[in-house]
Amino acid sequence: MSITEKILCAKTHEFIYENENNIYTAGLTDYAVEQLGDIVFLELPEAGTEFKKGETFATVESVKAASEIYMPISGKITEVNSAVADSPEILNEDPYEKGWLVKIERTGDDTELSDLMEYEDYKEDLE
Amino acid sequence: MTKETFLHDKHVALGARMVDFAGWSMPVQYTSIIEEHKTVRENVGLFDVSHMGEVFISGKDSLEFLNKIVPQDISKLVYEKAIYCQLPNKNGGLIDDLIIYKLGLLEYLIICNAARIDEDLNWMVRNKKGFEVKIDNQSHNYSLLAVQGPKAAELLHTMGLDINQNSFTIRPAKVAGIKLLASRTGYTGEDGFELLVENEFSEELFDRILEAGKPFGIKPIGLGARDTLRLEAALHLYGNDLDENTTPVEAGLSWSVPKDKIADYNGKKAIMNQIKNGTEKKLVGLKMLDRGIARHGYEIFYKGENIGVITSGGISPMLNANIALGYVKNIEEICTGAIVQIMIREKLHDAEIVKRPFITKRNIVKIN
Repeated sequence: MSITEKILCAKTHEFIYENENNIYTAGLTDYAVEQLGDIVFLELPEAGTEFKKGETFATVESVKAASEIYMPISGKITEVNSAVADSPEILNEDPYEKGWLVKIERTGDDTELSDLMEYEDYKEDLE
Repeated sequence: MTKETFLHDKHVALGARMVDFAGWSMPVQYTSIIEEHKTVRENVGLFDVSHMGEVFISGKDSLEFLNKIVPQDISKLVYEKAIYCQLPNKNGGLIDDLIIYKLGLLEYLIICNAARIDEDLNWMVRNKKGFEVKIDNQSHNYSLLAVQGPKAAELLHTMGLDINQNSFTIRPAKVAGIKLLASRTGYTGEDGFELLVENEFSEELFDRILEAGKPFGIKPIGLGARDTLRLEAALHLYGNDLDENTTPVEAGLSWSVPKDKIADYNGKKAIMNQIKNGTEKKLVGLKMLDRGIARHGYEIFYKGENIGVITSGGISPMLNANIALGYVKNIEEICTGAIVQIMIREKLHDAEIVKRPFITKRNIVKIN
């Protein structure tokens, strides 16, 4: 199964997919990464921090501008991708696999998933 | 309605991402801003800057008229020479910054910022009373292509341009048989030329330069890299680093303001007063001491006190550091070598005040 078949995307261009036991991997969609251009800096939260859905949990800096990254679901950060923080250009190369940003233990209820879109719908929504 | 340059379809065909800039649809990048930046520093890049304004000034009083609207001494501008100027209001604040070229005895060309053409024209018309002068906005008839980088001269030489031409001069020339005005100027800190050509020949010129530039490693360059290049060279960007509340003295442009100009000009009193007595704020170059990136509008602190604001900031691909321009309180201890803090997303990041430009300016390339 290709990764785009299992992800859910937010209108604000974050994606998540479930790994196991309510742990979700989150990152930025290929569309977001392409629009940002050369990514030069990522400010990621510390593991253990809790955020509500829609809150800013990270910032991405491209050559042109700084952009906020929002929590697609409420949850606690359980793991941060330090490789991508050290080499943010990884995001440009591989946003879904090597370029994931954080892992989140989901704390919200299922209604929070209702406005997330499957990849195909997300792409359609962009047009 | 967004305006398009004559090269719009070329940019789209080359895969550029188009953005709105000053009412124009312009390429921000073709591949990668960092890659395009390095191409200009190491080889040669081609820019479409046709959005910029071209205003021809002619008539019996053109010299006196220009001397009234800019602090620079246009009476010292000789045939084929160019000079960097500002257009101050009565208080010395800047309506725009410009390049003025002397094309003939009573004929001058002004190249101005796209976003300011209307304000500039309005201001010039308001100031023409009593002068026998013709202000002729030809912006819609001309395209402007910039060829910039250490290999720019060599490339244009292979295309028939006589590159035995000094920096900051302009003259009628031919490139690939196309008649144009070749100006040895730019906005990158590199050697290079800006080619002013009638719209109908711009597509052919663009294609011919890209073709002939292949062995030189040429690439089309977007406005994204134009911004990072000019920032490394610490060249002001109107709207960011210059505006109607900023004088040339505050902006670190006193070097361009003659102290002995006899003619009166708009803002002269305020500008000369600042040259004599100093200013409240001054422009400085900043280098971030960590990975934080200072952006336009971020606040600057010194010993806990808010002392100023960033006006341009970003990355320097050549220095591998983050750099910025900003205005700070003009006191002695806030000087080169001082450490200040920039507020980035509610956290203070250290930055050092450094000399401008951030990179060494290149000399013009000569070929024997």
